[in-house]
Amino acid sequence: MTVTTTPTSSGVVLTPKKRTFKKFFNDTGWRHLVGIAVGIYAVFPILYVLSNALSPTGTLTGSNKLFQAFSLAGFERVLSNPDKPFGAWFMNTMIIGGVVAFGTILMGGLAAYAFSRMRFSGRRVGLLSLLLIQMFPQVLAVIAIFLLLGAIGDVFPVLGLNTRTGLIMVYLGGALGVNTYLMYGFFNTVPTSIDEAARIDGAGHARIFFTIIVRLVFPILIVVGILSFIAVTGDFVVASVVLSEPDTKTLAVGLYEIIANDRAADWGAFSAGAVMAALPVLILFMALQKYIISGLTAGAVK
Amino acid sequence: MLVKPKRILAIGALVTSAALLLSGCSGSSDDKSADSGNGTTLTVWVDSDRLAVLKTAAEEYSKEQGVTIKLVDKSIETMKADFAREAPTGKGPDIIMGAHDWIGGYVADGIISPIELGDKASEFSDVAINAVTYDSKIYQVPYAVENIGILRNTELVPDATPATWDEMIAAGRATGKKYPFVVTQNGPEGDPYHVYPLQSSFGSSIFGLDDKGEYNPDDLTIGNAEGVAFANWLGTVGDVIQGDISGDVAKQAFLDGEAPFWLTGPWSVKEAQDAGIKLAVDPIPSAGGQEANPFAGVKGFYINSKSKNAVAANDFLVNFIATDKIQTALFEQGGVLPAMTSAADKAASDPTVEGFKNAGKNAIPMPSIPAMADVWTPWGIAEGDILTGADPTATWSKLATDIQAAIDESK
Amino acid sequence: MSGRVNVRIGPFITKLILLGMFDALAVYAIFLSIQASNWIFVTVIAVIAVAFNWIYLRPGANPSKYLAPGFVFLLIFQVFVIGYTGYISFTNFGGGHTGDKDQAIASLIAGGQERVEDSPSYPITVVKAGGTFGFLVTDDGEALFGTATDPLHEAPKAVMEGGVAVSLPGYESLNFQDILNNQKAISDLAVPFSDDINDGTLRTQDGRTGYLYLSHLSYDADADTITDGRTGTVYHDGGKGSFVSESGDNLKPGWTVTVGFENFTKALTDPTIRGPLVQVTIWTFVLAFVTVFATFFMGLFLAIVFNKPHMRGRKIYRTLLIVPYAFPAFLGALVWSGMFNRSYGFVNEVLFFGADIPWLTDPILAKFVVIFINLWLGFPYMFLVTMGALQSIPAEVEEAATVDGASPWQIFRLIKLPLLLVSVAPLLIASFAFNFNNFNVIYMTTGGGPKIEGAGSNIGHTDILISMVYKIAFDGQTRDYGLASVLAILIFIIVTIITIISFRQTKALEEIN
Repeated sequence: MTVTTTPTSSGVVLTPKKRTFKKFFNDTGWRHLVGIAVGIYAVFPILYVLSNALSPTGTLTGSNKLFQAFSLAGFERVLSNPDKPFGAWFMNTMIIGGVVAFGTILMGGLAAYAFSRMRFSGRRVGLLSLLLIQMFPQVLAVIAIFLLLGAIGDVFPVLGLNTRTGLIMVYLGGALGVNTYLMYGFFNTVPTSIDEAARIDGAGHARIFFTIIVRLVFPILIVVGILSFIAVTGDFVVASVVLSEPDTKTLAVGLYEIIANDRAADWGAFSAGAVMAALPVLILFMALQKYIISGLTAGAVK
Repeated sequence: MLVKPKRILAIGALVTSAALLLSGCSGSSDDKSADSGNGTTLTVWVDSDRLAVLKTAAEEYSKEQGVTIKLVDKSIETMKADFAREAPTGKGPDIIMGAHDWIGGYVADGIISPIELGDKASEFSDVAINAVTYDSKIYQVPYAVENIGILRNTELVPDATPATWDEMIAAGRATGKKYPFVVTQNGPEGDPYHVYPLQSSFGSSIFGLDDKGEYNPDDLTIGNAEGVAFANWLGTVGDVIQGDISGDVAKQAFLDGEAPFWLTGPWSVKEAQDAGIKLAVDPIPSAGGQEANPFAGVKGFYINSKSKNAVAANDFLVNFIATDKIQTALFEQGGVLPAMTSAADKAASDPTVEGFKNAGKNAIPMPSIPAMADVWTPWGIAEGDILTGADPTATWSKLATDIQAAIDESK
Repeated sequence: MSGRVNVRIGPFITKLILLGMFDALAVYAIFLSIQASNWIFVTVIAVIAVAFNWIYLRPGANPSKYLAPGFVFLLIFQVFVIGYTGYISFTNFGGGHTGDKDQAIASLIAGGQERVEDSPSYPITVVKAGGTFGFLVTDDGEALFGTATDPLHEAPKAVMEGGVAVSLPGYESLNFQDILNNQKAISDLAVPFSDDINDGTLRTQDGRTGYLYLSHLSYDADADTITDGRTGTVYHDGGKGSFVSESGDNLKPGWTVTVGFENFTKALTDPTIRGPLVQVTIWTFVLAFVTVFATFFMGLFLAIVFNKPHMRGRKIYRTLLIVPYAFPAFLGALVWSGMFNRSYGFVNEVLFFGADIPWLTDPILAKFVVIFINLWLGFPYMFLVTMGALQSIPAEVEEAATVDGASPWQIFRLIKLPLLLVSVAPLLIASFAFNFNNFNVIYMTTGGGPKIEGAGSNIGHTDILISMVYKIAFDGQTRDYGLASVLAILIFIIVTIITIISFRQTKALEEIN
């Protein structure tokens, strides 16, 4: 492993103001090199998509000369096709993702609170089986999901196939599980003495949860929310089975169809769509970076 | 760490409950006007390529009969399987537009209804009626007949495409362009549909015909001597028919003027013309000495056997789509050879349509029997393997044995 | 928040309101279910409603109050769905066997309707009297009338218009809209042509034109057989979901029945499944393991590199590095697959100066590409996690070790790494399970290809178990949901066992006690 050559920063006494390049390089300079290299690796595909999105043609050829041309034709094509309503896909994804994220935070948080703060029989088994049941990806059960939603839709059309609410319910079925486990770890880092103090003050258990604990575990809630939002935006199979009509589709299903057919693949429109599809998550991620890092890491460490 | 999440939480809750409300409302409004009493809505699945073509026709029918036609854009990649999954539950569309070779599988699933064309059947071309007939019944209202042919860039090769493969490749090489000739392949999975005309020029076929002229699944002919001869020829052209020339690569090569010949179908014409290529459509040259006959593919409309709007669906297809007026109108917008003879005659004045018609004058319908399901994939893979250097004779005979075994098993 | 009284009454009222809304919804849902005579739904909703009321009306802190909402969804959309998949694995559900027996019979009988050869097409007018539909038929300029029970006979009173009978006194002629409102009744209507049933029946598909049909298949409900009138062949229920003749010919469509362990046997013995299954299973493990290993060490390495206080631009690097994590994974995978395109991809064209490397179509290279893309998708997460874990190791540990004369490498290997592993082990296991089932990466890059020779359903070298299941269920020409469900259950069992064992190993669950 490359780690062998890693000099640790420890034990370095105050760096003198005028340092030699060699010393600078040994100390931090090489880190910049690594950073630049890995940074390029990390960001390049996104630059590539952006360049494609701004190229006037719809094909992959010629897309290798990055940023040679500037045209908004790709954006125009993806936004103006009434049979492939990108706007509706975008809204659907935001709505479904948002609701599922919120529902996951709420239900997962409640469950994690119970597991973390209460002692009851079946607790250990419950937590473990939650984790295991979640090991069954919904992709594997799409047939059963399809039939189930079909049956539900016969009685309650609003919840059946081809509805966003139906898909939301399916996703919420996966709300517990790993998320609960992640939150459970974080909840445990909050000392129980806080609960007890509140209880002495006369606060009920619900009040303690909603006004005190939620505040303390906020980073992990953000993390779980974002994770489930990402999972929703990235899901392809379940969404494509549940939603079969253009105006109910999500971005993953819709965008894929733009390039699925070799004959009609429009990479320019796809790239433009991809850029717009990625923006909300990227922005959310950057804006909440602080919480994500502390949530992920603290949860991990516990 | 201590944060003040109250405001964020509140906003989040507000946004999500608004979203829930939105999704709930719009969800319910989606839920089909079809089952409400006033006004019938026919849901029709159409692949993206043809949606625009059908739009005007659908609007016209709505005006005439007061039946709303809801055209749904479906990816051709997933449409076939989606319909097979949804139709048995009674959830599918009333009508689906697709290729004729889905018939066998759909009949076995019991998800499409026979359609009575009555006297109109005689107004369609023989090949079209032949293709949509299965077990003596018609299951599809044909709309267009497609077959592939050679698209030639007339600026690179002004003379008509030579009659033999070797001459064509020589002419292609003489242009000095990157590719002498392109044809779509799907990597190692080959593309037997596009290569079939060359195979047929060796006299090789997949299934024999029974006395009614329908494909006979009990008579697998792919492995006979003609087939082996074709396989051996295929083993020599791996430098021209390249596995990774996928559809978009082939297209781009032709559009860029990097390939003088492109073995493709009418669906490619418009884009080539838009790109400013001057083109002609020629018959496919023979590789094995006999005439090269492509498969004829018929595009048409199926009716879901569980449709609650069977009468409206039949009326739309039989009394509207199957008329000279609409077939001509669809041709004018889509540029594909109409299945109805009278409309096809009018269309033949278009040189590219005529070119494809010539290329496919003896085309036979692509087999639609369910046994074909056991053929396509291994067939393509065997071709892909041979193109990349596998032993032609051994690979081909193994292919025939494997297909026979698969057919026997799925009986 | 004012006064102490609110503390008790406020939440209680909120609770009542929420519960009231919930109950109202439940009652409404039960009402709808009764209307649809769906008694299973009625029962399920009633049980849930009662349980919720019982749970939330009890005073005091109670775990079920916190678990109930999530568990309802979990039970219906995860547990039930898994159970149902298990059930499907014991059936022949799939292509040709999609419905129940009644549907299959109806479909066969309908398909057995054959138009009498050389019979004319009859202009018809659909008429109605007192709820009974009939056909007013024009045959050679003469009007005939008949209903389902009343065979066609002459109707001299019929009003003719342009040579076609358009109405009959005492009956209401239906216009197209009326026909559309009664589509089912009209397309099911079969009017006997004469008193002799063997003359066939008149039917219409479009409400305007009638044709004479004879059915060649008939169903005998008592004997449960279907007889083909043309050949006299009798088909009986073969017990495997279809009607079979003596000579073994199947009538299609069939219907869904349970087939015992047949699908399991097939998965384990059929050479077109078993061979690929072994290969795919091995590759699935390799992919998941290598991905976790590679992403973890890359993340760790980067965490160490940037775990340097006061380093300039550290935040910028960190932001850049987590970009792949924030970019939707399916898009990332698609973009990479475009860049690896053999003829026009960025990798061959630019990085390898126009080389012709078959990245996605060579069995070995394709595997490397998949791992490479997985690394891109996965390292930022590991970077974040390990960085947090590193920072949480107290500085004193390191100082003490340094004082004791340990070298930096020793400190890392003997102290930091073990501490780190303990804390991130559960996440590594979760990451393993995730990558074990990472469908998108396969589907969006190689599509599982290139194909394994001799494999059924187009299964390829880079297919992992989950994408193999998908192909068997949807991709192949024959949709075999039963077999796909068997594999789904097998995957579930494998992952479960691995997870249990590894959690035992890391004692991660010990803390729960």
